[in-house]
Amino acid sequence: MQIWLGFAILALILWGITGVTQKLSTNRISSERSFLWFCWAMVALSGAVLVVARPHWGLAPLVVTCAIAGGALNGMGAWTSFRALESGGKASIVISLISLYPLLTVVLAVIILGERLTGMQTAGAVAAIAAAILLSLEAPPANPGVL
Amino acid sequence: MTEESRPHKLPLWLFWSLASIVLWGVWGLVSKIASEGVDAYVNQLLYTVGLAPLMVFVGWTVSRKSRGNPPEPGKLRQDRARGIFWAFLTGILGGVGNLAFFQALVKGGKASVVAPVTALFPMVTVILALVFLKERLGRVQWVGLGLAFVAIYLLSA
Repeated sequence: MQIWLGFAILALILWGITGVTQKLSTNRISSERSFLWFCWAMVALSGAVLVVARPHWGLAPLVVTCAIAGGALNGMGAWTSFRALESGGKASIVISLISLYPLLTVVLAVIILGERLTGMQTAGAVAAIAAAILLSLEAPPANPGVL
Repeated sequence: MTEESRPHKLPLWLFWSLASIVLWGVWGLVSKIASEGVDAYVNQLLYTVGLAPLMVFVGWTVSRKSRGNPPEPGKLRQDRARGIFWAFLTGILGGVGNLAFFQALVKGGKASVVAPVTALFPMVTVILALVFLKERLGRVQWVGLGLAFVAIYLLSA
């Protein structure tokens, strides 16, 4: 197995577990308060990461901008998904619809980064998105990375 | 203005859902660009910097809503502490998951493959809900679970 796939599957497993822990949290406190404590955990984790990371000066501005934008985009994505659920959207429809997000990543990566997928990988990407939608039907709400 | 009185406008829930697709979809792209120049740890540090303004905003919202509320009885307070514990654990697991996601990109995974693979995380949630929360799966979810395994096999090719 390629090493990147191992890490991707590890991310999948950890984010999958958060689907349950998030539900256990929002059963007891509001989604906003839950999000706030989620963020505090991210800050705590970053403190731990500082011990092992070797941040250095001279990073390309584009790289720094993209990495910071990543946190903002992911966090705001979680916030807008809460808004969608609170604005009267049926959970099964909202979550299934949002499961389409990797499709946009695939399109952007092909257009902007010039990535090319094999036939098998294209079929896999389509199957993955279809699977995520089917799994989201009446599944516990969960979002990537953030809540 | 109610949803019914906005016939020619996008329903709010649909607007917010589409916004989530765009925000998360672009996240996969910018994470790949960032991973070309920083390791997973620094990426996670900068990610947290990006999350900070939203954290301040949500913190302000929570404190505004809870202002003037009477003190909670003991049982509610205990329930709230448990809710906070699970939220904190969600953050730790989510953050370590982020590190694995960034590492997958750093180690050569294409954004167009890593994003669909990691987006299959509801399969784990569904399996855990089945085993630990004793939730029942519908036929559609069983099909989704099977398709998820097929997708991982195809994407790893």
